[in-house]
Amino acid sequence: MKPIRLTIKLVWILVGLAIALLIPALLGSSQYNMVLVTTVLLYAVMATAWNIIGGMAGQMDLAATAYLGLGAFTTGTLLIRWNVSPWIGMILGGFVAAGFAAFVGYSLFRFGVTEVWYALSSSALIEVLRVIFLLWEDVGGPVEKFLPFYSWSLYHMRFGSYVPYYYIMLALLLIALFVNYRIAKSKLGYYLIALGENEDAAEVLGVDARACKLKALMIYAFLVGVTGGVYACLYGFIHPNIFSGLKGTEVAILGIVGGMGIIYGPLLATLILVSGREFLRSNLSGQLESLYLAIYAVVLILIVLFRPKGIATLFQDIYENILSRIARGKNVQTNTPSL
Amino acid sequence: MGCIYALIALGLSIIFGVMNIVNFAHGDFVMLSMYFTFWAGTLLGLEGVWTPLLTFPLLFLIGILTYRAIVERTLRQHYVTQIAVTVGLQLFLRAFTQIVWQAQPRALPYSIIQGQFMIGEYQIILSRLISAIVSVIAIVIVYLFLTKTWPGRAIQAASDDLDAAALVGVNYKRTYALAFGLGSALTAIAGGLLMTFQQVDPTMGMRFGLLSWCVLALAGLGSIPGLLISGVIVGGAESLSMALWDPRARSLVVYLIFILVLWVKPRGLFGRK
Amino acid sequence: MSKPILQVSNLTKTFGNLVAVDNVSLQIHKGEIVGLIGPNGAGKTTFFNAITGLGKPDTGQVFFKSANITNLLPHKICKLGMSRTFQVTKAFSNMTVEDAVRVGAYNRHDEKKVDAKVDKIVSFCDLQDIRQWKCDDLGLAPLRRVELARAIATDPDLLLLDEAGAGLTATELVELMTILRRLNGEMSITLCVVEHVMPMVMGLCGRIVVLDSGKLIAEGNPNEISSNQRVIEAYLGERASR
Repeated sequence: MKPIRLTIKLVWILVGLAIALLIPALLGSSQYNMVLVTTVLLYAVMATAWNIIGGMAGQMDLAATAYLGLGAFTTGTLLIRWNVSPWIGMILGGFVAAGFAAFVGYSLFRFGVTEVWYALSSSALIEVLRVIFLLWEDVGGPVEKFLPFYSWSLYHMRFGSYVPYYYIMLALLLIALFVNYRIAKSKLGYYLIALGENEDAAEVLGVDARACKLKALMIYAFLVGVTGGVYACLYGFIHPNIFSGLKGTEVAILGIVGGMGIIYGPLLATLILVSGREFLRSNLSGQLESLYLAIYAVVLILIVLFRPKGIATLFQDIYENILSRIARGKNVQTNTPSL
Repeated sequence: MGCIYALIALGLSIIFGVMNIVNFAHGDFVMLSMYFTFWAGTLLGLEGVWTPLLTFPLLFLIGILTYRAIVERTLRQHYVTQIAVTVGLQLFLRAFTQIVWQAQPRALPYSIIQGQFMIGEYQIILSRLISAIVSVIAIVIVYLFLTKTWPGRAIQAASDDLDAAALVGVNYKRTYALAFGLGSALTAIAGGLLMTFQQVDPTMGMRFGLLSWCVLALAGLGSIPGLLISGVIVGGAESLSMALWDPRARSLVVYLIFILVLWVKPRGLFGRK
Repeated sequence: MSKPILQVSNLTKTFGNLVAVDNVSLQIHKGEIVGLIGPNGAGKTTFFNAITGLGKPDTGQVFFKSANITNLLPHKICKLGMSRTFQVTKAFSNMTVEDAVRVGAYNRHDEKKVDAKVDKIVSFCDLQDIRQWKCDDLGLAPLRRVELARAIATDPDLLLLDEAGAGLTATELVELMTILRRLNGEMSITLCVVEHVMPMVMGLCGRIVVLDSGKLIAEGNPNEISSNQRVIEAYLGERASR
C-alpha cells in the first residue's frame, strides 16, 4: 500500500478510536444513552466476529445468540454457584461456545448440510438451546437467575454505572476487529474468502473446506461466547430468552448489509442501523410504537435491494472518489488502474 | 394440526422447490392471513371457515406483489441476498401487525364449528377435525391443479428444468410470480383454519415459518403426499411431546427432528432429487 | 515405458438412468500432453469431475502417482499434485488477480515464500499489468489465464484443462498454446486437455483419446485419430466444423 494511503488509514483509525474512547465523557450523564451505545457495541462485536464465518467464508450462520447464551450461562452459573470471577468465566464461556460450535460444525459439515439448510438449522439450534435451558431448572429455568449484586466490584465485574461495561465492550470490539484483520491477511483468510467466492474452485486449489470453515466457526463462537460473559454481567441476570432466534438472525443481517468480508463492514452497519433504530424507538413512542421497527425493516430491504454488496462498499466508492480527486489535483499516483 | 402444517409447507415447497427462493417470511404470511381472517370475522361478521374465500385471493395478490417488488430483483443474486430481503420482510410484517393490531393475542369470537365429541377415550375437538379435513381437501385440490392443469404443469416443469420449460413456451417470470402467489395464498387457507381454534399474536410468524421448513425437510422436495405424511408426523410429534413431556418442549422436539433429518437424510423421506 | 503418472481403470459414472462415463480406462505418462475429445455430452467433464474428487465414480479406480485417489476429497488430490481448470470459469469474482493466484500458491508455500511464488506465476502467465484488477472486471481471455495461473500456482505435476480454449480468438488461442507448451517443457507439467477447438488439440497433443456417449472409442496420435472412421462418425451430425 502506498505510504500516503497507509497514513490516511491510520489517521482514520486513530480518530475513530479517540471518538470511541471519549463517548462516555460526552454521553456519560445519561444512563439511557450509555446503555444504547453499549448495546450498539455488543451487536458490533457479534457482527464483526460473524464476519469471519459469514462474511469471509459465506456460510450463513444465524446462531450468534446461541454462542452468546452459552457464554452467558457459563459465566453466570460459574459466578453464582462457585463464585468464579467473570473475567475467568467469560474465557471459559468462550471455550464452551467454541466447543459447541465444533460439535455442531463438525456434524453439519460432515453430513454436507449446505447453505440454506445450514442457515435454517442454525436458527433452529437457538430454539433448541432455549428450551433446554428453560427445562434445565438448575442452571436456567423460567425465572431469571440473578448474578450477585455489588455496586462496584472489579472481581465480579459489577459496576454501578454502564461506563466500565462500555469500555469492556469496546475492548472486545477492538479485539474482534484485530482478529479479523490478522485472519484476512493470513492463509486462513485467503482460503476462507476463496471458499466464500467459489467453493468448488477453492477445493481443487487445495483448500480443505471443512477444516477451514470449522476453524472460522470456532473462532467466531469463541469471541461471541466471551462477549456473552460480559453480557451476563451487564444485565445482571441470565435467562433462557437470551437464546433469541430473531437476534441471531439480526447479527447475520448486520454482517450482510455491512458488506460481506469487509472487516469494518459489520461495524459500520451496526453503527448506522442499530443506533438509527434505537433513536427512532425512543422518539416514536406511543401508539405507533412499532413503527420504528417497520421503518427499520423497510430500510433494511431497500439497502439489500439496491446495494447488495453492502453499505461498506458505498463508503469505499465515495472514499475512492474523493481520494482520486485529491490525487488528480496533486498529480500523485494512486493504486486504482486507469480505465 | 399436522395437516395444516402440511398445507403451509406445501406453499413453501412450491416456492422453494420450484424457484429455489428462500422465503423466510412465509410463516409470517400465515400470521398475516390469520389477522386478515380476524378482521373479516370481527368487522364483517364472517364465519371463520368461509373467510379463506376472501383471504385466498388477497394473499395471492400480496404474494405476487411481494414477488414483483422484492423477490424478482434478487433472483440473479447470491442466495444470501434473498435471505436478507425476506428476513427484512419478516421484520416488517411483525412490526406492521403490531402497529395495526397491537401486541395482545387476538381470537375470533365465535365459530359454528364449536364443541367437541368423544371417540372412545379420546376427546376430539370439532374445529380441529374440520380444519384437518379441509386442509387435506385443499392439498388434494392443489395436487390436482399442479398435475392436471396447464399453469400447474408449467410450475412443475419450471422446477424441473427451467430452460426446457422456456423452450416449450413457459414464461418463467409469469410462472414464478404465479407460483409465489399460489404458495403464499395457501397460507390464507391455513390461516383461516387456524383461527377457528387458535389465537394470533405478532410473534407467531417465526414459529410457523420454522415448522413449515421442518415439514419440508422431512418430506423432501417433489412429493405432495409425502408432505402430508410429514406434516402429520411433525404435528403428531409436537402434540405428543406436549402431552407426554412438557408443554414448553414442543418446539424442542420439532426442531430436533428438523436437525436430525438434515443431518441424516438431507433428501427427506420422500424426496425426489 | 515408465509407470504412468495417472492410471484410470474401468471408471463408470451414472446419473440415475444416464450412463455418463462407461467403463473408461486411461493412462497418462509423465511429460505427455494428452487430448480428450468427443462430441458434446460425451462425458468428458464428468470424467474430469470423477477423477478430481468432485463426483464419486460408481465403479473403477483412479491411481495418481501410485496412490489410490478414487474417493479422495478434491483438496487432498490437489495436495498430491493434480490440478484442474473449469469449463465454466469459476472465478473468485471479488478478489484481485494476484489474490486469486495466491490462494493457489498457498498450497505448497507458506507465508514467507508465497509472495515470491505469486510474482513468479504472475509474470509467467503475463498478468503483471492486471494483477491488481478484480476478477470481476476481466474479459474472457485474461480470466482464463487467471484460472490457469491459479491452478499452476499449486505446483501440480498433472494439470487437467477443461475446454480452456473455448471462446478465444485465434491470437488468444496461440498465446494459450504457447503458455501450455512452456508449462509442459520448462516446468515439466503433464497436461491433459479436454477440447473442442481442433487446431489446439491437433497442434498441442502428442496423444489423443476420444470419448463418445461415455465410451472410449479411439486412442492414438493426431494423424491416426483424424483418419479414424469411428471418430468421424461420432462427429457427424455435430454443428459446423471447428
